[in-house]
Amino acid sequence: MNVFIKEIKANRRSLVIWCIGIVLMIASGMGKYAGLSTSGQSLDDLLDQMPKSLQAIMGIGTFDLSTASGYYGVLFIYLVVMATIHAAMLGANIISKEERDKTAEFLFVKPISRNKVITSKLLASLLNIIIINLITLFSSVIMVQRYSNGENIMDDMIILMVGMFILQLIFLFIGTAIAAISKNSKTAASLSTGILLITFILSIAIDMNSRIENLKYLTPFKYYDAKNLMFGGGLDTDYVILSVILIAVLLSATYVFYKKRDLKI
Amino acid sequence: MNVIEIKNLTKYYGKARGIIDINFDVEEGEIFGFIGPNGAGKSTTIRTLLGLIYPTRGSAEIFGKDCIKYGPEIKKEIGYLPSEIFYYSKMKVIDLLKYSASFYKKDCGKKIHELAEIMDLDIHKRIDDLSLGNKKKVGIVQGLLHEPKLIILDEPTSGLDPLMQQKFFDLLKAENEKGATILFSSHILSEVQKLCNRVAIIKEGRIVKVEKISTLKENNYKKFKIETMLKIDKDYFNMKGVSDLEVKNNMVSFLFRGNINSIMKKISGIEIVNLWAEEPNLEEIFMHYYEKEA
Repeated sequence: MNVFIKEIKANRRSLVIWCIGIVLMIASGMGKYAGLSTSGQSLDDLLDQMPKSLQAIMGIGTFDLSTASGYYGVLFIYLVVMATIHAAMLGANIISKEERDKTAEFLFVKPISRNKVITSKLLASLLNIIIINLITLFSSVIMVQRYSNGENIMDDMIILMVGMFILQLIFLFIGTAIAAISKNSKTAASLSTGILLITFILSIAIDMNSRIENLKYLTPFKYYDAKNLMFGGGLDTDYVILSVILIAVLLSATYVFYKKRDLKI
Repeated sequence: MNVIEIKNLTKYYGKARGIIDINFDVEEGEIFGFIGPNGAGKSTTIRTLLGLIYPTRGSAEIFGKDCIKYGPEIKKEIGYLPSEIFYYSKMKVIDLLKYSASFYKKDCGKKIHELAEIMDLDIHKRIDDLSLGNKKKVGIVQGLLHEPKLIILDEPTSGLDPLMQQKFFDLLKAENEKGATILFSSHILSEVQKLCNRVAIIKEGRIVKVEKISTLKENNYKKFKIETMLKIDKDYFNMKGVSDLEVKNNMVSFLFRGNINSIMKKISGIEIVNLWAEEPNLEEIFMHYYEKEA
């Protein structure tokens, strides 16, 4: 319990900053929509003329940008990127920082097993990503509702946030697993965000080029694509099962490798 | 009863040597010195005992229990002071000490204030703002606040001024009298001599010697360096008790053990320009032990 509280306190400030970032992202993003929606249909016409690859890069795809929910669908991918970067860095740092800051020699000579330390740290991280998720949900609902003209958005929002939460979990545990496995405690965070960026770029590449569609299983971002989740699409069972397996493997890797690790001080 | 029993403890970092077949026991209630130059394997041994790293071969028992298997349990009664102190830098001293205490299921509040007072430590400062010596003091308080039965110290005096060193040694002696066993690692022979009952000497990953301090003191080596007027016969000083004899031009150096008068008489037999007689440093003692073993 003491390690859990310590970690909550240690991550308090960064959590607040990330939350402010996400709220600003949603507020400014939807503020742009207010400007665009007044020009009405012409926006969709304009975007239709854009090459498909450019549309893919901007994440527009098949969304109807004249509706608030369609517009939010585009914005969502950027929120996912922010939330997953937060999760990956949090996961990597919360595990590796004891060695990086050389406090391992303090913590691990205390009468506490490594498994218990990891559990406390993971629970603290879990609370952090849940808070990020809820903040995203609430500010999204509030901001989108302002422009939605009575459109029912709650169901879509909740589905999107469930998808985002699973992505957060996957990248959190990618971070913790890399930190537990990698020999150098300083590189864990950059390695995790590197993997994140590669999988994200892959997901865009798949949008641009349908011939590599089979690679979609390699990038978690494709598991929870906004355009598939929204408008009654819901979660795909295959992807959810795949996610659960991925999370279970990463989670056990975190425990197994950290327990066997020679702590570098 | 032995508090620490180390059996053939070996640690390789990949192919690099850490420690090789370390064997020694620390008895209950003694202050046991562990000396060797930097990189000899002192910290590796200690970190293995504490379960921070895992041995390649061999095992160690603390309080009769395997130090890896029963790690969390035996650490309840271990206090550890690392050679370099790193703490969560944004914390205040008192918060760190309370955090440290929270791992032990007993009330350490009184002991914290008592120790902080003895070590003259301001517990309301932030860790970042402390000097090296003051960080060391935090380490000392932190290592002793739960009144451990075994205190493990890894080069504990670096950064402490002589006055604080003395207070710290007094503190250790008091804890020892109350029943605590102490493992004291150092590369400074004099402080080990001052405090310890027995020492283990480690060199290049191996234990060279485990010896009582009193025996070491009997082996009272002196290091001589003499500058002579004229070149002397290189076997002039080759007599009983002299070792590591070296003659270079007008400079003669050697280690001497035995009756000091006999060597002084020998020196008086030649014309000298200058003379240095000093305690040999640790390295030279090692060299000596090494030669004897070989």
